[in-house]
Amino acid sequence: MSTTATTAPIFPSFEQVVQGFAGQIGQLREMAPKPTLSDAVRVRRAIDTLIAETNADEAVWLESCIRCGQCTTACHYFQATGETKYAPMRKMNLYRKVYQREIGPFRWWYQLVTREVKLKDLEELQELVYDSCSECGRCTMVCPMGIDTASLVHHQRSALVAAELVPPELAALRMEQKHAGTVFGASADSLRKMVDTIREKAGVIIPLDKERAEIMVLSSAVDLVGNGNGLLATARVMNHLGVDWTVCSDGFESANFGLLSGDMSLWKKQVDPIVAAAQRIGAKMLVIAECGHAYPALRWNPMLKSGELPFEMMYMSEYLGRQAKAGRLQLTPLKGKITYHDPCKTGRRGGAFEEPRAVLKAMDADFVEMPANKEYNWCCGGGAGIFLLERATRLREESFKIKMEQVNITGAETVVVSCASCRLNFEAGRVKNHWDRKVESLVELVAEHLIEDPRAVPINPAQGVRA
Amino acid sequence: MSLLEFARGPAIHWSLIILVAGTIWRLLGVLVLTRGADLSRPRDAFGNFKGYRTVFSRAWPSGEFTTATRYQTGMAYLFHLATLIVVVGIVPHIEFITGLTGASWPGLPNAAGVAFGIIALASLLALILRRIAKPAVYCSNWGDYFAWFVMAAPLVTGMMAFAHLGPRYETMLAIHLLSVALLFAWFPFGKLMHSFWFIFSRAQSGVAYAHKGVRI
Repeated sequence: MSTTATTAPIFPSFEQVVQGFAGQIGQLREMAPKPTLSDAVRVRRAIDTLIAETNADEAVWLESCIRCGQCTTACHYFQATGETKYAPMRKMNLYRKVYQREIGPFRWWYQLVTREVKLKDLEELQELVYDSCSECGRCTMVCPMGIDTASLVHHQRSALVAAELVPPELAALRMEQKHAGTVFGASADSLRKMVDTIREKAGVIIPLDKERAEIMVLSSAVDLVGNGNGLLATARVMNHLGVDWTVCSDGFESANFGLLSGDMSLWKKQVDPIVAAAQRIGAKMLVIAECGHAYPALRWNPMLKSGELPFEMMYMSEYLGRQAKAGRLQLTPLKGKITYHDPCKTGRRGGAFEEPRAVLKAMDADFVEMPANKEYNWCCGGGAGIFLLERATRLREESFKIKMEQVNITGAETVVVSCASCRLNFEAGRVKNHWDRKVESLVELVAEHLIEDPRAVPINPAQGVRA
Repeated sequence: MSLLEFARGPAIHWSLIILVAGTIWRLLGVLVLTRGADLSRPRDAFGNFKGYRTVFSRAWPSGEFTTATRYQTGMAYLFHLATLIVVVGIVPHIEFITGLTGASWPGLPNAAGVAFGIIALASLLALILRRIAKPAVYCSNWGDYFAWFVMAAPLVTGMMAFAHLGPRYETMLAIHLLSVALLFAWFPFGKLMHSFWFIFSRAQSGVAYAHKGVRI
């Protein structure tokens, strides 16, 4: 029996969530901090950041481009607009100039023949590395030199953080997370209230702040201030599995605006309390909420010696996939044809390809791949914080048409995503284009298709063990 | 000293010195930089090693991009292979290399040499025409055109010398040798260095993605 039929809606639909976020994003622009440093200092800080972050890898990539133009065939922003300024190779021009003038083996020559980087150059760079690059890495798949442009773009985001040139929406959220430790106001109190609401209205227990637990599950601001269904579904699934799990109020936020803005110190600062909480409770597993960039923020955090940690880190789709493969997820069949969108951060730049597909297989789904899938998947256009940028609306909407076409070719009625950011972008695109497809979250879909086995011994969710 | 003697002597010798010294300088200047460490745990313990496959696998675009890149890839392969055959296959070049190194091997018949020269030049022309026709895609800078020029010049002048076109043979041969000297001397400074960088660049990306269990 599916739980779907018996559960009345408690939280708003995802379409309403998207509308709510649109209003909040508008307020972010007004909250954005203004630059405080002189132009010269901002430029110097940007250059110093690039110098500090340039190793042999970056230098080789900057040296290697032959401007063969093939990256343009892979980039959704270029393909959607045909505008040369969005060609991926152009997104490393300023970085290369700094490298050639400051670090490269012929720097004495380039200092003679090229002009200094000005603040105006950095201002122009903002659109290239924030608005028009979701760091999806698809261009790397076609580049005959194999240049990882996404990495180079990320370093430039770091440089623009140093130059106080983060776009206003990301800048506001970065400052909020840096100073208040919250995202969209989603605090520990918001989490407690949401846990209470879910318990009172849905009768589902979320074991909050257990002293010891095998599995620590993260949530995200999207769940807490908009889509309560995300956390509710997570709780239903975890309780159904009968595992020893908890959510920690001092380390629950998946979203990391250090990573998204390019602020490396904030990236680390946000990760530390999560790692500390997981160690304190003796967790063996950290499950990251469906928040695509949280996967590289935690699991693939290059600053974190995760091999030495006493726990594993998994993305929600990975965790669900492992459970499905092990036969621990008994799910009712999914009706209709479906397809799956690989979020860039968990797919091409994360490697979690098979597990979400294993979940869909466990639902006996009529699953069909998009023409470009897995490593070659097209980005939805809203990743790496771009969904939040009002200025990037046209780029986002135009590039989403590529994604719609990919889904349409499959003939699927439903596209499943496993990333809140992708889902927000898909839902906004669906409404805007009156698209006759359904967009579903993987964890919510699983929660809706859980088989409540009447023969099973009742589970005590507060203890997380079979009573 | 005649023009031919200058071309055969100091011009070629100095350009070879610049080629070797410049290439070593540029490679070392980059490769001595520190490597950034990714401290995260790899998806599988020996996975990173698999990343080196990218050095070879990227020699041809994946099926996903075959249609979009076939012109560029096809022409680039024609150019590189035909040029290589001309450089090491025709008798005057073998004699030149023998003079420098002592090594020797049989040369191609003249007609074959001319055919490969024409293929190299035609593919090079096809590449530049496309670059000019699609400025939004190629985002060319002067270095792209200069690299094309220093590559095309030896092919054109070599064919002219071989066919006894243009000025008298000695002058044409000297111009050909000077154009080769220009190619050698420019090599370390522009994008022709991709003949070395491609190995490192592909390997780095291959390893970085393999760390996460992704094959690129």
